Amino acid sequence: MRLVDPTVQGNKSSNRRAPALKDLKGKTIGLLSNRKLNADLLLQETAACLQRRYGGRILELAHKLNPSAPAPADTLTNLTPECDYLLTATGD
Amino acid sequence: MNKAVDLTLTIQNQIHEVEDNLLAAIDYCYEQGWTDGLPVVPPEESRVAAMCAMEGRPDETVIAHHPATGLSLTVHSLAVNAVMAGCLPDYFPVLVAAFEAMEKERFNFHGSTASTGGSAPLIIVSGPIVDEIGMNAGVNLFGPGNRANATIGRAVRLTLMNVFQMVPDISDKSTQGNPGKYSFCIGERSDVNPWPSLAEEQGYPDGVSSVTVFAGAGFCNVENHGGNTPEAILDTVADSMANYGCISLGQSVVVLAPEHVNIIAAANWSKPEVQAYLFEHAQRSVAGIKRVGKFVEGEYRKQGLQEMHRGLLASDILVTVGGGDAGGHSAFIPSWSRSRGSIMQHQSIGVCVDC
Repeated sequence: MRLVDPTVQGNKSSNRRAPALKDLKGKTIGLLSNRKLNADLLLQETAACLQRRYGGRILELAHKLNPSAPAPADTLTNLTPECDYLLTATGD
Repeated sequence: MNKAVDLTLTIQNQIHEVEDNLLAAIDYCYEQGWTDGLPVVPPEESRVAAMCAMEGRPDETVIAHHPATGLSLTVHSLAVNAVMAGCLPDYFPVLVAAFEAMEKERFNFHGSTASTGGSAPLIIVSGPIVDEIGMNAGVNLFGPGNRANATIGRAVRLTLMNVFQMVPDISDKSTQGNPGKYSFCIGERSDVNPWPSLAEEQGYPDGVSSVTVFAGAGFCNVENHGGNTPEAILDTVADSMANYGCISLGQSVVVLAPEHVNIIAAANWSKPEVQAYLFEHAQRSVAGIKRVGKFVEGEYRKQGLQEMHRGLLASDILVTVGGGDAGGHSAFIPSWSRSRGSIMQHQSIGVCVDC
């Protein structure tokens, strides 16, 4: 009996990890909220802690359109050149 | 070159050679991790070919894709899973249309398949195809016993698991799940429906059937055997919709049983009047919502009303008819989404009305 495999192979992803930062000192912090309850607060408090410890600028909070959908491409594209690292979190 | 070999080359669905022993093949499917926990029909290639033959487009046509995994669903892969679910080829156009509807952006395919909320896509089939393929729109509507309902819904879940890899505890992180995640597919009952069918409301031409997909949470039975006015029936439905565990800005599906519909229809209520009544009465006080910790200022402002209502508009409440003649049992199915994360979508079955 010949059975057809019901699964499919994924495309090879072209994504790769960004190089790790050597340190956080003076680095600009981006924030991406998923809009869940308390997410904004959690991100802002975390960023404030990091800023107190390492300095650097905190960018204005960016938001996904809703928690369960991927962030729009232009949101990520706009954040990328502005920040050295990005915090994103769920605050459910 | 026969078709199976050609498919292997073009869309790379691997062929597994197993012994000609049905029970062994069923066990093999378990061993491969291809099932939903229940036995499947082994996806023997001639059955897959018969399923594909129901679709007019080439087998490699992509019907849907998953934004997070990057995986795509072809006609062929869907057919394999339909065979495993136990579908007859006649059911396949419904399944194709269901995934085309889920592919629409506002359905939010990723969130509704991965979330802790335990969403199951409720599939509501409307129009002549309900009778043509022998779907159940009557007694035991959401229960077992009908091959079309059971296997179309099951094929959706098998496809989510096998093609899109929405595997429980890996990428499907439902806190408690939902029985509808095995199968959640119903026909709209037409013979006792006093209103236009869903397919008609959705603007499809006469004779064209449609499928509506709704990222549903758990099922809520709405029992009322004593009320004999539209208000009595609909107050009961609205109360279910507004319970603290369910109330949100999300959409709703209400399936009214014939006994309840007869009472409403006898008073000549239109469907928009039913929807408006439900929206108006499915509400909680702001103080109450605050007391249970579910108040979100932004959502309240978005709604712009004095109290917190379920949904944003009366049209957020899909009202349809189904179930057996006897019994004051209707159903309310809340949306998985607590806000506007998933909006129900529909699609014509077997025809393209836009192209």
